[in-house]
Amino acid sequence: MAKAFKYGLKGISGYLEPAERDLLRGLLDDVISMLELDVRENEDPLAALIGLDMDVKQPSDRALLRLLPNVMKDDDDGSLEFRQLTERSVRESKIGALRAAALGLDKDELVLSPEDATRWSMALNDVRLVLAERLDIRDEADAEHIHSMQDWSQAEDVESYLALVYNFTTWLQESLVQAMMAARQGKS
Amino acid sequence: MSPSVAYGTDIDERTKAAEQSSTDVLTAPDIPWNLVIWNDPVNLMSYVSFVFQSYFGYSESKAHKLMMEVHKKGRSIVAHGSKEQVEQHAVAMHGFGLWATVEKAASGNETPGKGGRQRG
Repeated sequence: MAKAFKYGLKGISGYLEPAERDLLRGLLDDVISMLELDVRENEDPLAALIGLDMDVKQPSDRALLRLLPNVMKDDDDGSLEFRQLTERSVRESKIGALRAAALGLDKDELVLSPEDATRWSMALNDVRLVLAERLDIRDEADAEHIHSMQDWSQAEDVESYLALVYNFTTWLQESLVQAMMAARQGKS
Repeated sequence: MSPSVAYGTDIDERTKAAEQSSTDVLTAPDIPWNLVIWNDPVNLMSYVSFVFQSYFGYSESKAHKLMMEVHKKGRSIVAHGSKEQVEQHAVAMHGFGLWATVEKAASGNETPGKGGRQRG
């Protein structure tokens, strides 16, 4: 069984079983592949280099839209213009955090620097946002319903399995954030 | 946000703190854009509070108050400034996975602090 992250002399440390590492690695890779952009022909390399994407559209996939939301509530044109300027770099920073967490899983010991911990918390959050969309969590009642599923013997179909995975990542992220808070207080 | 807990937010205290704090938060009345964070049932309350502390440099109590306002009212103005400044914050918030939008200060329901009350 995984152990909650905690803050101690070595910094923030945690423990995950090999099967749990594999599970997390798979989730992180899934979100990375959602966020990766296909290489396009005839793309202006300079525009790509500085992060512009004039062909960008609002994502049709709801999970991807949650990761890359519109920046204005009632202004689609304004939101699209903002996407052209920023979406590529948001994708890249998210992929960076997800990759860093996946790489961390390859080490024997799970000991995180404050920067590692921040990247891990961002990566786990993105994984949870995607799982929540797949599970159709729309409001607090949905979240509570999913949260009530804690027993792995309840995993009888894809949905209940996803719910248990979601709860595992929620628990892991909560313990990480608590450890990060403790680390902040330990310093101040 | 998840999980739910009892709420209690004091807007006066929030705006007082906003006026005192960091370079990210400009309170001049002629700077008309807000950064809004919206509630969602997924982001952990502890995480949202942590992001407010670590990114904006807000105190633990101020971060907690803003987080509770998001949770209770469905949204909260967590910073204001020029359009470019709040857009930069929005990019950072999207990086953290928070649901952030920007809006002109006058179009919001809340008054964005003492200095910015319903001008323009």
